[in-house]
Amino acid sequence: MNKVKIKSKNLNVHYGQKQALFDVNLDLNEKEVTALIGPSGCGKSTFIRCINRMNDVIDICKVTGKIEIDGVEINDENLDVVSLRERVGMVFQKPNPFPKSIYENISYGPKIHGKGETKSELDEIVENSLKKSALWEEVKDRLDEPGTSLSGGQQQRLCIARAISVNPEVILMDEPCSALDPIATAKIEELIDDLKKTYTIVIVTHSMAQAVRVSQKTGFFHLGKLIEVGKTEKIFKNPDNKMTQDYITGRFG
Amino acid sequence: MSNEHTVKSYEEELQNLKDSLIKMGSLTESQMSDSMDAIIKVDKDSIDKIIKSDDEINKFRSKIDTQIMNLLVKRAPMAIDLRETISSLKISQDLERIGDLSKSNAKKIKPLPLDLPEELLSNLKRLGDLVIKQLNDVLDSYINKNFDKAKIVWEKDEQVDDLTNIAMQSVIDFLSKDKKNLDFSTHLIFATKNLERAGDHVTNIAETVCYLIKGEYLKGSRPKGKQAQE
Repeated sequence: MNKVKIKSKNLNVHYGQKQALFDVNLDLNEKEVTALIGPSGCGKSTFIRCINRMNDVIDICKVTGKIEIDGVEINDENLDVVSLRERVGMVFQKPNPFPKSIYENISYGPKIHGKGETKSELDEIVENSLKKSALWEEVKDRLDEPGTSLSGGQQQRLCIARAISVNPEVILMDEPCSALDPIATAKIEELIDDLKKTYTIVIVTHSMAQAVRVSQKTGFFHLGKLIEVGKTEKIFKNPDNKMTQDYITGRFG
Repeated sequence: MSNEHTVKSYEEELQNLKDSLIKMGSLTESQMSDSMDAIIKVDKDSIDKIIKSDDEINKFRSKIDTQIMNLLVKRAPMAIDLRETISSLKISQDLERIGDLSKSNAKKIKPLPLDLPEELLSNLKRLGDLVIKQLNDVLDSYINKNFDKAKIVWEKDEQVDDLTNIAMQSVIDFLSKDKKNLDFSTHLIFATKNLERAGDHVTNIAETVCYLIKGEYLKGSRPKGKQAQE
């Protein structure tokens, strides 16, 4: 088993009076895919938003407990959130390319993080990012066209390319295929399989079959609590917890 | 929290699969019992009926295959439902093979003389009764999801091996008394071997039931009788 990349210790999240996460202790392994499953509102998205401190932008959100990346606490007030988000990229449910060209969608991140000083450096980053996200062959002759002109599946791969353009260590994916057709979904899943050789990936999904296909580890959340976590194969063949079994077999009333 | 599927038709499909398997099991048990009775009584009139009953068992096998395919395609079952579905496939295969063996034994009755020695038949009967009991117990363990009972069946296959040896020895003794006995003794040897094989399929079913219930295969190798070890 790979070493632990991200560690949450007694993580609690409140949105005002409402508690969204209760004492979550979860280890995520390096260069592995961890799938988080559970009914809507169970806290899985809240959990991954803690990993790149996206919850900071919500005024009423209060996070207590610890999240460590490579043993370093990220909830530290002095930590530079911008550089944290450079290390921890995110892909959302709905593809959300910038209203700019395909090229600029990719080059924007490296530019603001001071990674591409010259045009040729940026060209290289754009090409590599698009190759890694398996989009290069489809768009190499139309890099000046708007990102929004691409199909839904291509837009999502563009967003993945944008996330990896700044060379992150972790990629968070919040239901990345829920708006895509089966072919586009298959392409993203194949891409995830390839990306895990380089990155630590956390994916939130409502598709059990997708969790089985792409992940090595699965965590089941319910009402803000992490109910069970274990090897994906074990969770889907023979989970220990009855609640997990009821959820994955469709017995949740 | 409810134990029923949110989707009612999924619940029904799984129940129908279980029902089919139970019916198939019950038919296989009756067929084996009839086949055994017919051998012991050298009842040649029952042969056709027993052979015909195998068609019914095979029909169930096809029906169960279809039910399983539909479940896999429509529901992509997970966890206990996945184990239930896959176990049904394996158990139905074993039941079908047991049916074939009972049919094969029925066919062996034709050349048998009506005056077979009592000891020979009683040894064969003891073996047959044990295999039938084992089959009954394993089906019971499947219906009631009783892990301990399935494990006992698995362990008791040792006794099937031992009774096979005893039955086999009495046929060999009978054969050695007079070479004229060779023809039908061969049939009796095959019939004995078929019962042992049926016992092995029962053991497979016991292993499957244990996996179905606990999600883990039984550890270690099952106890074996003297002959089976060699």
